Amino acid sequence: MSSELGEVHGLPPEAFREQVRSFQFWFDAVQGYLEGQEYGHRDHPEAPALDEDERERLITVLCNYCVGETAALEGAGGLIRLAPNREAKVFLSTQTVDEGRHLEVLTHRMRELGVDDVEAAIARRANPSLVRFKQRLLDLIERGHWTSAVFAQNVVLEAMEFAVFRRHAQVADPITAEVLAGIVKDERRHIGFGENTLGRALRDAPAVGLELRALRRELDSLVLTSLEHTLSDLHASTQEKTDLSRDYLQAVTRLGFA
Amino acid sequence: MTDFLKGYDIQYWLESAPQGYLLDTEYGHDPDAREPELVLSDPVLREQAVRTTVQLVVGERCALAASSGLINAAPDEPSRRFLATQTLDEARHVEVFTHRLLDLGVKSSELESTIADMANPNLVKFAELLLERVDKKDFVAGVVGQNVILEGMAFHVFEMMYAANRDANRKFAQTLAGTIADERRHVGFGENRIGSLIRENPDRKADVERLQQEMSYYMLATFGSQFRQGPTPQEVGEIMQRGGAPATSSAEWKGVKLSGADPEELEAALADTILREFKVRLERIGIHYQTPHRP
Repeated sequence: MSSELGEVHGLPPEAFREQVRSFQFWFDAVQGYLEGQEYGHRDHPEAPALDEDERERLITVLCNYCVGETAALEGAGGLIRLAPNREAKVFLSTQTVDEGRHLEVLTHRMRELGVDDVEAAIARRANPSLVRFKQRLLDLIERGHWTSAVFAQNVVLEAMEFAVFRRHAQVADPITAEVLAGIVKDERRHIGFGENTLGRALRDAPAVGLELRALRRELDSLVLTSLEHTLSDLHASTQEKTDLSRDYLQAVTRLGFA
Repeated sequence: MTDFLKGYDIQYWLESAPQGYLLDTEYGHDPDAREPELVLSDPVLREQAVRTTVQLVVGERCALAASSGLINAAPDEPSRRFLATQTLDEARHVEVFTHRLLDLGVKSSELESTIADMANPNLVKFAELLLERVDKKDFVAGVVGQNVILEGMAFHVFEMMYAANRDANRKFAQTLAGTIADERRHVGFGENRIGSLIRENPDRKADVERLQQEMSYYMLATFGSQFRQGPTPQEVGEIMQRGGAPATSSAEWKGVKLSGADPEELEAALADTILREFKVRLERIGIHYQTPHRP
C-alpha cells in the first residue's frame, strides 16, 4: 500500500510528511511488531528467574521508565492542543497511544515481577531529577510553548529513553528485552517527528535556536543525573555510562545545539 | 474500578480495533472501495455529502481536542491510558472524514475554508462549551460532555447514517461502522467511569445536570438544522433513481423507511431514539435528564 516505507521516501516533502504522520502509517508500522504479543511480549518459558537483587534493581529501573513514559503520555496528549496543523495533531495522537502502551507494558512487567501496588512503588522509587523534568515539560505545555515542548519531549526525553532502552534491551532478561525492543521501535518515529518539526522551525526562525539552547542547558543536567542513576541500577560500567551519555548528547546535537 | 478499567486497556484496544475490525482497511474502508460515481457527479448529492462530512470532521476535531486534553485531568493512570486510545480513535476519525472530503473533490487548499463555511454553528457552540470545561481540567464535566452527551447522542445519528448508506455507499458505510464500533467503547467508558465518580462525589450531580441541560440543547439543535438543510430524503431517492444508483428503498432505521420519510419524520424518530436512550444512559450514571432550554 501507499504508506510502505520504501515508497514514502520517494514522495515530495509535503506528501511525505502527510503520509508518515497519518494514523494509517502508524497502523501499518505497529502491526508488524505488535502482532502476537500480549502486553509487549510473547511467552518466554526459557526466561531465567531473577535473583532478589536483580529483581529489586529491575523494579527500580522500571519505576523510573514509568515516570518518563507518564511524562511522555501527558506531554503528547497536551501537545495535541498546541499543534499547528491536522497532520501534527494526528501524529501526536499516535504518539499518545504509543506512550500509553509503553506505560501499560511496563506496569504489567512490574506486576509480573510481583509488584502489587505499582503506583506506590513508582512514587517511592522515582528519581527526583526525572520528576523535575516531567514537571518542566508539562509546564512548557501549560504555557503553550510548542517548539520548546516538542524539543523537551520528542528530542531530549525520547533521545534519553532511546539510548537507555536500547542498551538495557541488550542485557535484560528475555521478557524485559522484548518489551523494551518494542518501545524503541516507537521512539524512532517520535524522534523523527521532533527532528523534522524543529528542523523546519529553526529554518523558518533561526532565533528559536537561542531559546532551545538555553532550555537544553537546563534539561541536560536533569537528564544526565537521571541517566547516571538508572545506569548504576543496571550495573553499567563507567565506560558504558560515558558511551550512553555521549549517545544522548549526540542525538541532541544533531539538531545543531552543540 | 480497576477491574472495570481492565476492559479498556490498550492491549484490549489493540486486539479489538487495529488488529480487529480495522484490519485490512485503508482510511477506514476496503482499499478498493470508492465513493459512488453519482455522489461525485451530481451537484446536489455532492454538496449534501460534503456538508454532512464537514459536521463529522467538526465533531471529531472537538472530540480529539477534548480527549487529549482530558488525559492530564484524569484522576488515575488506567483512565489516562484509556483516553490515550480514545485520542487516537478520534484522530483516526478526523483523518478518515477529512480524507472523505478530499475524495469528494474538496481541494486541500480549500479544506479549512469549506469546513469554516459549512460548520453548523450549534455544533461549534457545543465544542466551545465542552473545551472550556476541558481547559479547566474538569474531568467529570469533560467526560460527561464528550463521552456521554456528544458521543452518546452522535452514536444514533451514525447508526442512522449507516443504515441509509449500507447499500448505497459501501465506502462511507464502512467508515461509519468503524466509527460506531469505537464510539461504543467510549460511551461505555464514560458511563462506567462517571457513574463511579458521581457516586463518590454526589455534590457534582447538580452541576452535571445543568451541564447536560445546556449542552444537549446544542446537540439537538445541530441534528434538527441538519435535517432542514439540503435535499429531502425523497429528493435524494429520486436523484439516485434517475442516476441508476442501487435501490435504497429497503433502508430502514428504527422502523422508519429512510428513503421515503420527510425531514420532520426523521427528526422525530431520531429525537425519540436519542432522548429515550440518552435518559436511560443518564439514569445509569445517577443523573436525571433535564429538558434543554433555548439559550
